[in-house]
Amino acid sequence: MEPKWAEENLQTIRTLMERSVLYRRALAPIMIYVGVLGIVGGIVGTKLNFLSARAFVLLWFVVAVLALVGSFLLVRRQCLKNAEPFWSPPTRRVAQALIPPFTVGAFVAILFFFGENALEYRSLLILVWCWTYGCAIHSAGFYMPRGFKLFGWMFILAGFAFWHVSGGGFGGYGRFTDDGWMGAIFGGLHLAYGIYLYFTEKKTPVA
Amino acid sequence: MNPELFLQLDRVIHEKGRLAIMSMLAASPELSFTELRDALAMTDGNLTTHIRALQEEGFISVAKSYQNRRPLTTCSLTAAGRKAFAEYIALLEQIVRQNKP
Repeated sequence: MEPKWAEENLQTIRTLMERSVLYRRALAPIMIYVGVLGIVGGIVGTKLNFLSARAFVLLWFVVAVLALVGSFLLVRRQCLKNAEPFWSPPTRRVAQALIPPFTVGAFVAILFFFGENALEYRSLLILVWCWTYGCAIHSAGFYMPRGFKLFGWMFILAGFAFWHVSGGGFGGYGRFTDDGWMGAIFGGLHLAYGIYLYFTEKKTPVA
Repeated sequence: MNPELFLQLDRVIHEKGRLAIMSMLAASPELSFTELRDALAMTDGNLTTHIRALQEEGFISVAKSYQNRRPLTTCSLTAAGRKAFAEYIALLEQIVRQNKP
């Protein structure tokens, strides 16, 4: 018998053990928080009716930062409550999966922020954000319970639906509708998923 | 290689599919049947057979419940399974050490 088989077996066991540690947190409060924040962002944007591409990007940048900080604090609280490390291997893998699509979304937002006549292309930005966010969620779903990948697909499909309803984009409708769409897609989907998880998620998650 | 060590390896765990199931359950308090099936790319029948073999040895416990009105089967390692798995790993490590020049 090959003397290396034992070493290879140990390596396989290690890989399988790492793969099986799913990132399991009570996602319902996080999703509900992000959902409410998104809807509030949509309402604020619509009410204030900013007429510049920079204001649009800044508003949603602030919403994204608040969502990230709030989610971080909620996860941290769960970790402290369960006496678990925050920066665990599954957390690291989820973060690694999220970073590339988030970077693409942020880069496109920067282009949009500094671009000339950027307001005309705002629908394209919403589409790119839907797709990159959907891809990020889908990638993270490989290290999370099953439904999360489907949630990623919801954003990708919402991007297609948005593109279809907005008539192929390029600013074919009123300015405030962009924020309304952002609130409906990002806020609405998170809130709906959060409510679904609230009623279906196991109350005592296992790490 | 010392054949005695090899002979001490638990035959039930040593099978490729069952070893994969044990490895995954060793790192997680419990996994559902679908999670195991998807992660290991096994067929329902194949996974059921392996789970049954491990259950008969007392290495894993299977719990059936309902989630969202759908049946949910979850598997977890028993204390005996955890012990047997730890011993299996210890033996493998011993074999690796023995083979090192």
